[in-house]
Formats: sequence, C-alpha cells, structure tokens
Amino acid sequence: MTASDLLALLVLAGLTAYTVLGGADFGAGLWDLTRSRRQRDLVVRAMGPVWEANHVWLIFVLIALFSGFPGGFAVLSRSLTGPLSIALLGIVLRGAAFAFRQYGAPHGGPPVRGTALWGRIFAVSSLITPFAFGAAAGGITGGTLRADGSAGLLRPFLAPLPLASGLLAVAACAFIAAVYLTTDAYRSGESELVARLRARALASGLLAGALALLALPLLPDAFADRLAWPAVAVSVVSGGLALELMRRGWFGLARVAAAGAPAGLLCGWALALYPWALPGYAMLSPAPPATAGLIVGVLTAGLLLVVPSYVFMIRVLRADAD
Amino acid sequence: MLDDLTAAREQMAFSLSFHIIFAVLGVGMPWLMLWAEWRGLRTGDTHWTALARRWSKAVAVLFAVGAVSGTVLSVEFGLLWPEFMARFGSAFGISFTLESFAFFLEAIFLALYLYGWDRLSPRAHLLCGVPVAVSGVASAGFVTTANAWMNGPVGLVRGPDGELISTEPLGPFLAPTTGPQVTHMVLAAFLCTGLAVAAVYAVAMLRDPAKRDGYHRRGFAAGAVMGLSLAVPQALVGDWATRAVAEYQPAKFAAMEGVEHTEDGVPFSLGPWEIPNLLSLLLKFDPDARISGLDVVPAADRPPVSVTHVSFQVMIGIGVALIALAAYTAWAWYRDQGRGAHPADRRGLLIAMAVAGPAPFVALIAGWIVTEVGRQPWIVYRVMRTPEALTSQTGLETYLYVTIAVYLALSVALVAILRRIAAGPRPTTERTLEGSAA
Ligand code: HDD
Ligand code: HEM
Ligand code: HEM
Repeated sequence: MTASDLLALLVLAGLTAYTVLGGADFGAGLWDLTRSRRQRDLVVRAMGPVWEANHVWLIFVLIALFSGFPGGFAVLSRSLTGPLSIALLGIVLRGAAFAFRQYGAPHGGPPVRGTALWGRIFAVSSLITPFAFGAAAGGITGGTLRADGSAGLLRPFLAPLPLASGLLAVAACAFIAAVYLTTDAYRSGESELVARLRARALASGLLAGALALLALPLLPDAFADRLAWPAVAVSVVSGGLALELMRRGWFGLARVAAAGAPAGLLCGWALALYPWALPGYAMLSPAPPATAGLIVGVLTAGLLLVVPSYVFMIRVLRADAD
Repeated sequence: MLDDLTAAREQMAFSLSFHIIFAVLGVGMPWLMLWAEWRGLRTGDTHWTALARRWSKAVAVLFAVGAVSGTVLSVEFGLLWPEFMARFGSAFGISFTLESFAFFLEAIFLALYLYGWDRLSPRAHLLCGVPVAVSGVASAGFVTTANAWMNGPVGLVRGPDGELISTEPLGPFLAPTTGPQVTHMVLAAFLCTGLAVAAVYAVAMLRDPAKRDGYHRRGFAAGAVMGLSLAVPQALVGDWATRAVAEYQPAKFAAMEGVEHTEDGVPFSLGPWEIPNLLSLLLKFDPDARISGLDVVPAADRPPVSVTHVSFQVMIGIGVALIALAAYTAWAWYRDQGRGAHPADRRGLLIAMAVAGPAPFVALIAGWIVTEVGRQPWIVYRVMRTPEALTSQTGLETYLYVTIAVYLALSVALVAILRRIAAGPRPTTERTLEGSAA
C-alpha cells in the first residue's frame, strides 16, 4: 500500500466521520422544522456543544484532499462548482443561524428581533446542504462531469441519479438524527418526545432505504461493477438492524447500527471511485510520495490527539445531560 | 461589469477580510478569558469570573461565524483558483494539515469550556481553556506560513530546463518572510482583541457614568493592557518585516514606499510630510544609501502602486498613533496610581480608547492589502501569475455579490446578538480553585 493509498483511506475516514456526525447535525436541523417547542429545545441541547467539532471533519477532508490530491481537488472544485457553492451557502447560513438562534433567545427575556427568522433559516439550510452534497456525489458517479467544468454549473446535476442521491443524503441525515435525538429524549425522560421521534426515525429510515434501492439501478454499469458489495451489504444489514432496534426500543444499540447504514454505503461508493476523481475520466493525482508520506504522518499523529479529546468531550458534556 | 479575474480577486479579498476579523478575536479572546477566570479563582473576585463568563458567550457566537467563514475560504481556494491548488496545494499542504488539528482541538476544548462551566471542577475548566488559547495562536501561525510561502516560495524542485517538478513539503516553514509575518500576525491578533475589548467597556462607561464600577474597569483594563503593551513590539516586528520585504521582494517594497526610480538618499514620506534621506537611513543606516525603485522589475511585473502605498501608510500611521496612545495611558496610569484614582475616570482617555478600538482592525486589513496587492501580479511570487490560477468557470461576479449580501446580513444579526449578550443580567457565581460555591 503506498502513502497515497493510506492518505486516501484517511480522507475516507474523515468523510465517513463527517457523514455520520455532521449528517446527524444536519438532520437535527431538519427536525427543528416543527411546532413542538420541546423538540426544538432538544435539538439545541443536542447540537449546541458538538456541531462545531463535527463540522471540522469537513475541513479535515478538504485540507487532506488538497494537500494529498491537489490535482483531484482542482478537478472536483471545477466540475462541482454549482453544488459546492450551494452547499457552502447552506453551511454559512446554518452555522451562523444556529448560533444566532441559540444566543438570540436567552432563557428569560424576549428574543432579539429576527431570531425566529434565523430559526427557519437554520432548518432550511440544514436541508439544502446535504442535498447539494448528495447531488454532487451523484454527479460524480453519473459520469457526465468534465474536468474543466464545461459540462455546466447545475445542468449535470438535474438528472435522475444526482437528484435521487441528493434526496437520499437528506433522508439519511434525517434518519441518523432522529435515532440520536430519540436516545437523547429517552435519557432526559421525555416519553412523549421519544414516541414522536421514534416514529420519525422509522419513517425516515424506510424512506432512505427505498431511495437507496431506487438509486442502484440508476448507476452506470461500469460504476456498478466496481461497487464494493461487502460495504454495501454492511449498509443494508445495519440499516435493517437499526430499524428493528428502534422498534424494540433498544436505543443505545440503534445508534451504532444507524451509523453503519450511511457509512457502509459511502465506503462502498468511495472504494468504487478510487483512484479516480471523475470515474474513468480524471484521476485523483496524488502529491509526490515524500509529501504524501509526511501528510499521512501528520494526520495520524493529529488523529491520535483529536479522537481521545473528542471522546472526552462527549463523555463530559453528556454526563450531566439528564 | 467586473471581469472574472477582478471578481475572483475581490471575492478573495472580501471573504478573507471578513474571516480575519473573527479569526483575530478567536486568537485573542481565549487568552483574555483565561486570564479573567484565573484571576477570579485566585482572588475570589466575582467581577473577574463574571467577565470570563460573559466573554465566553460572546466567543461562542464569534467562533461560529469564524468557523463558517473559514470553511468558505478553504472551498473558495478550489472554486476560484483551481490551477493554483492543483500545482501548489501540496506545497503548503502541511501548514493547513497542521492547522486542521489546531481547529479540531480548538473546537473540542472550546465546547468543553463553554458548556463545562457547571460540569467540570473549576480547575479542570480552567485547564480546558489552555488548549483553546494555544490552538488559536497555532492556527493563525500555520495559515500565515502558507501565505509567507506564496510571498517567497522555497523548496521548489526544478528539472533541467527550469520547469517545476515538485515542491518540498516543509517550504512554508522556511520561507524568508515566515518569521516576521507569523510574529507580526500573532501580535496583531492580540492588539486587535485587546483594544476592541477595551473600547467596548470605554463606550459603556462613557454612555453611563454609573457603569464606572469594578466590573467595567476590570474589563477595560484587561483589554487595554493586552492591546497597548504590544504597540511598541508590533512596530519593531513591522520594521523586521519591512527589511525582509526590502530584501526578498524589491518590487513590493518599492510600491509600499512609493519609490518609482532607483536612487541614492531617498526621502521618507508619511501622509503629506516628507523627510529627506530618511528612508535610506532607516533601511540601510546610511542617509545616502541606494534604494531600488519599481524600475528594477519590468513593467509587467509591477504591483499596483497607489493601493499598496496608501495601505502601508495607513498601517504605519495607526501603528505610530497606538504607540502614542500607549505612552499617554501609561503616564495617566502612573499619575493616577499615586493619587489613588483610576485612569477610567478620565473622560479623555475613555474617548481615546473608544476611538482606538477599530483602529488596529483597519491596520490589520491594510497590512494584508500591502502583502497581497504588493505581491501582484504573482499568486506565487515569481512562479505563477494570478491570471494563470483562475478557474475556467465564468460569471464570478454573481458569487461576489451573493457573498457580500450574505455576509452583510450576518453582520447585522451578529451585532444585535452581541449587544443582547452585553446587556443581559450579569452572572455572579463565586468560584475558587477548591470548588464552586454558588
Ligand atoms: C494591528 C495591526 C498592525 C499594526 C499596528 C502594524 N501592522 Fe504591519 N501588518 C499587519 C498588521 C499590523 C498584518 C497582520 O495585517 C500584516 C499582513 C501580513 C502580515 O504578516 O502581517 C502586516 C504586514 C506588514 C508588512 C508586509 C509584510 C509582507 O508583505 O511580507 C510590513 C512591511 C509591515 N506590516 C510593517 C509594519 C510597520 C513598520 C508597522 C509600524 C508601526 C506596522 N506594520 C504596524
Ligand atoms: C492570516 C489569516 C488567518 C488567520 C489568522 C486565521 C485564523 C483562524 C482562527 C483563529 C480560526 C478559529 C475560528 C475562530 O476563532 O473564529 C480560524 C478558523 C478557520 N479558518 Fe482561518 N485564519 C486565517 C486565514 C484562513 C485561510 C486563508 C483559510 C483557508 C484557506 C482559513 C480557514 C479556516 C477554517 C476552515 C476555519 C474553521 C475552523 C473551525 O471550524 O474551527 N483561514 N481561522
Ligand atoms: C486574512 C487576511 C488576508 C487578507 C485581508 C488578504 C487580502 C487579499 C487581497 C486584498 C487579495 C487580492 C489581491 C489583488 O487582487 O490585488 C488577496 C488575494 C489572495 N490571497 Fe490573501 N489575504 C489574507 C490572507 C491570506 C492567506 C493567509 C492566504 C493563503 C494562505 C491568502 C491567499 C490569497 C490568494 C490565493 C489570493 C488570490 C490570488 C491573488 O490575487 O494573488 N491570503 N488576498
């Protein structure tokens, strides 16, 4: 295995972490679109402490990509300009809106003017961003993109596969988030919320599964042949398991299983793509081996520091949640 | 109509300037919070603890805006300058890779700090602030090394015909302006934070004399000390930076100083004034020394002179004014101490500090304009020209306007919320190193 293969694996690890952890935060934003005041409060409590750390996974992926695969980064930037710009707008609005909503309406005292509007912006941008990312992935897979961006800004993404994968991304975020929020509601003993969120988890999980099945036949044959089936199998089994665990009320275990569903699908897709940036057309073009090796070293050392810190944070901030 | 190249440059300039305002507060505020919290724990003085708590709320909001505007930058690099990233992404990759971990640690420990006030022991809580403060400085340092490399690329591996084959990964740490740029940037972050904080309390005390109490005085003093004590060091480092630029980027230097022709015994000009032979004296310690002008490089390689020159003058002017303010404040403090008074009772000083709040931010942006516009027409000095780096996508003007509109909306909301945080009831918990006694 070369240094750039290792680097690619680290990028994939970061992407998986972002999909699951960042995805849960986007999904929580979707469940903020509700009249239930308690549900919205739960979203703030659950997301508040963690979303920025989760968001850094995206930055990790971007930086590892442009340092390790500069050519591929340029190709992807040019060909995905449309969806990436939309995702970026969503990210900016969502992050800022969440902070404004959280601190603009303090306990006691009237909210700052416009806080309710920021609350809506928060929810809507939580929908747009995963959709844009999903559509970008679908566009890459579809094989119509060009390295110089000449296929068009948005046109290549207005096709069945990108649209289906955009919806799939949204449904997957909604599903993970509903599972996580159910657990949080259960911990703080809000049984009415547990019932609400559990129903939503089951519905969004079934929807995500259906969309994934719908997307499969849309894959170009050459890509489908390369798909890493074991990873896809992990996805299917975890998804099914998560739904069953939710139904039975084993929320702790359901959390783990629910993460496996999108993670498996993502890994199956990424392994089929590698070493291409645009399948069969433009390569990822890794950095020179000396640079790639050094970056792998730095990334590994950094993760050894960051992962325990992250776990420590979750432990501390969850300890008193109930 | 802006052409795509101009639109891309303006977009870069605008989004960087927006980001850096939050970034400098993200570098400086954690140190002030730590200081206040530590003082509160050591002395049991509730004012300090209240300040630390209040500041931590403001930091939470500022950090969120800093994080999203930083994300915009990392995507924008690819969206606007894909050729630059394709050729040099790995050249400064290490700087950014290290930076990503600084971000991680900052985000994780900041969450512990913000949400851990009542969940961690006071000592553990204080300790959680340390990685936040250290990683803020580290991230500012790391990005600046990437920029220093663009100003003086080193570690280029060339083939027999001089074509670029690859780049050494540690280049950014060895670039000739890395030392002064990193130091100057980190000091700038502290200067900006300190004076901004002092200005907030100065304004509050001016508006309502009843607020000249222990709480506001402490907030004022902490900010003023942090900001003003660095005015002189910042000018010294600026001098170091000037010498480095003069040596390695003669065209930028000539533009900064507005020297058209290479000459002996060059005068120094500041605003409308001109002092004969001073520039030669300052730079080479010899009033008759020769200074290279813009004519040392072909016309096609010259940066825009007036923007660079004016920005440099603005930065120096503010730097000098801040030194004067620091001297006056030190004198006032010394006088008042003898009489048992407090400098915050001087209306004149409060007005000066209120006005000085935004000044270092203006110097900060002006300094970056000197660095970035003075580097033109190169994106990587003498290696790649800016137009070569541009994306093939068109219609970039629209992006620029959308960015400006979104950032304006964010700024308006942010100001409203910060004002609310400042106006809320003051927290009054008593904490000591042994435990909270709420
Ligand atoms: C608080 C802000 C502040 C203040 C008061 C000053 N500067 Fe500055 N300056 C900056 C903030 C700044 C900066 C952080 O904006 C820059 C941009 C790039 C960098 O590394 O630092 C900068 C760049 C910069 C450069 C260009 C470096 C390069 O292109 O490589 C020079 C030559 C100076 N400065 C010199 C000075 C001098 C002689 C000052 C005298 C008082 C001064 N600065 C005050
Ligand atoms: C010299 C200029 C810069 C300085 C001093 C600086 C410093 C910082 C600091 C201190 C933060 C922490 C967030 C905060 O406290 O608000 C931050 C965030 C960020 N910056 Fe910058 N930055 C600079 C330029 C850049 C550039 C050029 C990029 C990208 C190419 C960038 C990318 C980011 C990103 C992605 C974040 C978000 C990290 C997070 O989520 O915590 N920054 N920056
Ligand atoms: C945060 C403070 C910064 C400010 C205010 C700033 C300002 C600017 C300005 C005014 C331009 C346009 C130059 C022109 O067209 O004449 C520019 C361009 C650029 N800057 Fe910076 N800059 C900052 C930091 C950085 C850093 C830390 C990096 C990289 C690591 C960077 C990378 C670039 C790039 C890639 C361009 C576009 C190409 C070019 O015009 O040369 N900047 N910046």
